[in-house]
Amino acid sequence: MATRKKSLLKVIILGDSSVGKTSLMNQYVNKRFSTQYKATIGADFLTKEVVVDDRVVTMQIWDTAGQERFQSLGVAFYRGADCCVLVYDVTAPNSFKNLDSWRDEFLIQAGPRDPEHFPFVVLGNKVDLENRQVSTRRAQQWAQSKNDIPYYETSAKEGRNVEQAFQTIAKNALAQEAEVELYNEFPDKIRVQSDGNRNGNSDNCQC
Amino acid sequence: MENNENKCENGQKEQDHQIDYRRDREWLEKPKHIFILSEAGKPIYTFHGSEDKLASLFGVMQALVSFVQQNDDGITAIFAEGYKIVFLVRNSLILVATSRTNCSTHQMQTQLSYLYNQILSTLTYSRVNRSFEKRKNFDLRILLSGSERIIDNFLVHDNSVRKVTNDVFSNLTNSISIMKIPITDRNNIVSSIQSSCSKIKDLIFAILLAKNQLISLVRLKNQTLHPVDLKLIFNLIDCSESFKSTESWVPICLPKFDMNGFMYAYITYLSEDCEACLILMSSDCEAFSVLKEAKSKITDKLRRNNCFNAINQEIFSNGYNLDALNIPEMVHFVYKPKGIYQIICSEIKPPYTSVSEFKKLEGIYFDLYRKIHKPHAPLKLIYEVRESEAALAWVTTTHELYAVFQPTVEKNDVIMLVDKLFKAIAKDNDNLFIKNHPYF
Repeated sequence: MATRKKSLLKVIILGDSSVGKTSLMNQYVNKRFSTQYKATIGADFLTKEVVVDDRVVTMQIWDTAGQERFQSLGVAFYRGADCCVLVYDVTAPNSFKNLDSWRDEFLIQAGPRDPEHFPFVVLGNKVDLENRQVSTRRAQQWAQSKNDIPYYETSAKEGRNVEQAFQTIAKNALAQEAEVELYNEFPDKIRVQSDGNRNGNSDNCQC
Repeated sequence: MENNENKCENGQKEQDHQIDYRRDREWLEKPKHIFILSEAGKPIYTFHGSEDKLASLFGVMQALVSFVQQNDDGITAIFAEGYKIVFLVRNSLILVATSRTNCSTHQMQTQLSYLYNQILSTLTYSRVNRSFEKRKNFDLRILLSGSERIIDNFLVHDNSVRKVTNDVFSNLTNSISIMKIPITDRNNIVSSIQSSCSKIKDLIFAILLAKNQLISLVRLKNQTLHPVDLKLIFNLIDCSESFKSTESWVPICLPKFDMNGFMYAYITYLSEDCEACLILMSSDCEAFSVLKEAKSKITDKLRRNNCFNAINQEIFSNGYNLDALNIPEMVHFVYKPKGIYQIICSEIKPPYTSVSEFKKLEGIYFDLYRKIHKPHAPLKLIYEVRESEAALAWVTTTHELYAVFQPTVEKNDVIMLVDKLFKAIAKDNDNLFIKNHPYF
């Protein structure tokens, strides 16, 4: 059999506007942080190669726009995701409350095969700021109540926990990628019709 | 399929760990790119570079397609400065072509549609569908691995990057090249096949080809072989040297015949002294030994009937020779009768024997083809005098002709030369084209 390709994971980052989704991604991929806020339009795409349990994996990260008006794009972007990262801002209680609806929205739109066990990761971002409003305990409780979603407190600015969080994201997504049943299917028998073939995908012309 | 970690056709695929393609001049300046991705935006194939490194770009392509889909619309093409980006969405797959050349949108879509059929040919429509139905995040590369080179091979021919061959013109005109063989010899070949195969159950097609040219096609009663399906077979044979040394038993889906099932092809070359490839296609996956037996009968009969000589003569010839027809002012032509998907091209002679000049010739024909077949405003005749040649495209009710002449040719003489060519072709018509593919 031919050599198997590297795995590729589609990772979606969701959360309210300005919780730091783009900053987290930039810190993770480019090791950079900027205090300047630039709203994401639609979605940004970044690629990062990681090693998980000796396997090289390519992460295709979809950094989506948090703003309401981009939500209509949801279905298109969420389709076929391998992992979903929910981000909130520890200094903004509303962004934490909204995690529920982000999660529900994702599950409805993406329609994964096994929603109960779909890999999510929750990130409480901006822990470097002093005016923290959502306690670690509250966030942990919420994450536990949703089928034990892994929870990390991060600072995109200081790079705190970012690497670890994404490592978990890759690992959990990969665990879901069950071995594809390669050989258990018998192909359909070809249909030959006496009055010419009509099962093809178009016109009936010949050379 | 053999291990094919490095796609040799494009060389650099595996040695580019550090390259950021979006900043890589060489990658950016390729005249043509092809990308195939899933509806989820996961990469499946890229002609240049490695899919993994381009994962972000694939995401952008998916976003563009789905953004337009939101409004119950579909994206066809994007025109940017000097670029054209063409999209084709089919059955959970998104195919994208970019070009800096003068290909028309329609031509690029035809190419993409061919590549889509190439994937179906390897996996079948139902297999692709089922894979994505089960998991939207499915990585189709798992099933396609080892077959990428078949796609590579088509693309290399489709836009001849380095080869100087008339094959590119059969793609341009969506046709098959026919090997020129005297009709009595071709009839002999056909009857050798018929008499060896007439009683074999489930045998649907018997195809004999050499040098990417069709020698004969014999078929089960009432069954037709679509030119797209035949081209898929040609491409498979062309890119697999291994068929030359062994006999092979290969499941092939012919999407225009039945896109959900496999045919089983017994593929082998006739013999060391006649390198034509025989393909016997059956609907029965157990037919190998029956077909193997048939092949040896066919080979014996062909040899006895002197058909090897007739075939070899063409294998070793350079093609239809314009000097022999006494039309030296015409440098090259492509001729296609109306109503059948067959063409004949003349031998490629200087200056077009060099890769760079041949690319120019290819450019001229692509340009002419695009102009004369312009949707909504097709033309009948184009005559252009260019710097180093005169070029003609002519579509009538009975045929299409594309030709280049020496730059010194007089306009009035062109008509006379073309007329001479038409007469020669008419005289040779029975040997140049196959009017009706016989039954077993």
